[in-house]
Amino acid sequence: MFLRLVADSFTRRPRRKLLTGAALALGMAVATAALSVSLDVGDRLAREFRSLGANLVVTPAADSLPLEIGGVDYRPANSGAYLPVADLPKIKAIYWHNNIIAFAPTLETVITVGNPASVAKTSSYIPTHTVQFLGTWVQHAIRTADGSEFVTGIAKTNPWWKVTGRWFDGDERECVVGRKLADELGVTVGSYLMLFTSSKGSEISSNGLTVVGVVDTGGSEDNEIIGPIFIAQQLSGKPGEYRKLYVSALSKPEDSFAKRDPKSMSADEFERWSCSPYVSSIAYSIAQALPGTEVRVIRRVADGEGNILRHVGALLWLVTFAALLAAALAVGASSAASVMERRSEIALMKALGAGRWSVGLLLAAEQLLLAVAGGGIGYALGIILARVVGERIFGVAPAPSMLVLAIIVALAAGVTLLGSAIPLRRAARFQPAPILRGE
Amino acid sequence: MGAAVGNNRGMFWRILRRQIFANRGRLFVVLLALAAGAAITAALLNLQVDARRRLTTEFRAFGANVVITPRETPGAERFLEDAKIQDALATQNRANVSAAEFIYGVATVGALVTENLANAPLRVATHTRAVAVGVSHPAAGAAQILPSAVRETEQKWGASNSPQCALGNRLAAVLQLHESDQVTVEVESRHYFCAPMTLPANGGPEDMQIFMKLNAAQTLFGEPGHISAAQLSVAGGLAEIQGTVANLQQRLPDSDVRPIRQFGEAQGKVYGKISGLLTATVVLVLVLTALCVMAAMTNVAMERRNDVGLMKAIGGATRRVVRLFLTEAALLGLVGGLVGAALGILLSMELGKAVFGVAARPRLIVYPIAVGLTILVAIASSYPLRRLAGVRPAAVFRGEA
Repeated sequence: MFLRLVADSFTRRPRRKLLTGAALALGMAVATAALSVSLDVGDRLAREFRSLGANLVVTPAADSLPLEIGGVDYRPANSGAYLPVADLPKIKAIYWHNNIIAFAPTLETVITVGNPASVAKTSSYIPTHTVQFLGTWVQHAIRTADGSEFVTGIAKTNPWWKVTGRWFDGDERECVVGRKLADELGVTVGSYLMLFTSSKGSEISSNGLTVVGVVDTGGSEDNEIIGPIFIAQQLSGKPGEYRKLYVSALSKPEDSFAKRDPKSMSADEFERWSCSPYVSSIAYSIAQALPGTEVRVIRRVADGEGNILRHVGALLWLVTFAALLAAALAVGASSAASVMERRSEIALMKALGAGRWSVGLLLAAEQLLLAVAGGGIGYALGIILARVVGERIFGVAPAPSMLVLAIIVALAAGVTLLGSAIPLRRAARFQPAPILRGE
Repeated sequence: MGAAVGNNRGMFWRILRRQIFANRGRLFVVLLALAAGAAITAALLNLQVDARRRLTTEFRAFGANVVITPRETPGAERFLEDAKIQDALATQNRANVSAAEFIYGVATVGALVTENLANAPLRVATHTRAVAVGVSHPAAGAAQILPSAVRETEQKWGASNSPQCALGNRLAAVLQLHESDQVTVEVESRHYFCAPMTLPANGGPEDMQIFMKLNAAQTLFGEPGHISAAQLSVAGGLAEIQGTVANLQQRLPDSDVRPIRQFGEAQGKVYGKISGLLTATVVLVLVLTALCVMAAMTNVAMERRNDVGLMKAIGGATRRVVRLFLTEAALLGLVGGLVGAALGILLSMELGKAVFGVAARPRLIVYPIAVGLTILVAIASSYPLRRLAGVRPAAVFRGEA
């Protein structure tokens, strides 16, 4: 009898049930979308912040003090230490390899170049500018331990660098020239540049490079020539070596625990610290993988990023909470309305001898059925909505999660029951007779 | 005729009042839904406007976004004239633009240790070549141009007149510097003695440098009145920064004024994402509010069939009946919106404090927008009431569905 009543209520007035179910599904779709997007948003924003550039810098531990002014190192050519490029694939083998977004080794050397027009006119070369040549990777493929390829380079660590033309090919004798230097030298895409090491008279005429792009960096690199690292190695006589490595790593905002010195931690604390993707623990594991290096956190980038991420993350959870609240209100109100309009039906049941509990149970069963169905449909709709929102805003759709489904169905059931409980309690106080008379 | 119109109008409002207060429970539900919707909308819109300002402030923590350097042409001056820079900066709005001045040079830095405490002859224990940096006193607003540790030391110097300097942690490590040691900085046999302090690791070139007051460094390098670079922190987004750059470049034709793009672009991107999320949420919340009101209005439509039947039976035109219901919806929207949006703006101020540590500034423009949106939502969600226009009085009075 109970089941028949429930089934009857659905088949007798399908349109009305459909309307309530639709309201429920829509509300839950919004809740699903809000939850899915915000579960994903921390990662997405952290990734967005990597456009700030590298947050870790690796230098040789035995290096002498760099005499860097305005981005140019004034140390004599042979002072200081270097590191082997061959070690670099090890970075993608550390515990946090998935958090390493990009890295690029650099080797800088001071050279002289001249206006290419003078080369064309006379065969003798007149060096006019002493500039820095920055050798690095741009689209360098590394084979990782699991056999896949990882492409990295300066274009990824410094995404704000804008190239007119194209980036150089790492195996070709090509280069890009900083915007200001290009204007001064009068070179454009397609020009040919001759590079000379500054040590007296020792011309390396083979170092003619084709300019394939002009780069805008907004930094001291606007006065430099950027090219493949092997050319910088030839120019400085340091085959297979680099001097500085910039690493861009996804990290979790640091709290006071993260900033403690790992040496002062107990074994348990150290375990917890090294298993959290703090920028300092990533630095620690890189230092372990690359012997003879000093890995430093670029505090200005890492701290600023951490602060903003924390604040924005809190803001977005708040927004999610607001959306959930609105969804709960809407669903609660519509289920309250659906119970209210059945007052005469309830009165009839009571007149026929149904107790408060059996009426309540019947309606609760109906509402629960509706909540599970509506919540399920709402979840499916919400996943689509989350895809649309995620793709519009971040360009990536959040992955559907079972956790969200569980939360949504529970929320739907809870809110509909709560919403119908209030009018039910009021209905319980009514005498059946006046309602049936239509008063 | 005039009296009749007056009567009609009086009647219109009387019916409206009766309708609104007929079922207080439902009135409460509808008002609650509208007010909650308005509150959330107003709070999010206000946060959205405020987030731009907050993010601008937060991004300024990354440091300078504009730098002025000497123009790098062969034979050009290696330094900038301090006075010229100051003149150009004086034309800018000091509330939005703050600046710090630097002079750089390579110096020999040595640690002086006391042999024994009784008759303290000093001895240079270790020395190395390092970059010495002179820093000017930035005004309070310019503090973020300098790394936090340098900034704090810089503020301490402001109080004392004794020669002081601060060493990056790597430089201090190379010199094996101790607490009580003195430091000597030498450039072309000019010496500067100072009481050092060591800065915490910063990851930037600061770790390898020694900092001192600008005028001390100018004397040391023999370049009085000269600076190597000025760094500016300009409030605002890319457009404001570019405006300031263009303006300063015009005033300083001999120098190079350029924006530091690294952080400006990320700021724009991140704001775009946050703004997009907030807008999406506002739209969804408004849809949900409409849903909530619509549910209540469907009920109203059921209950009012008899009333509408009666109105029509005694000669009420369909247009007037519809106008009655629309006015009711708009009034509910207005009241819900006025109360809700006010609460929402108050709420957003508190939330701003919770999220960013500074109360969000209330934007008056948000209030009318939120109220307007709520009224629109209320009118749109009274859609179920339209069915009442089709009520046939006879059918209702016969008790047919």
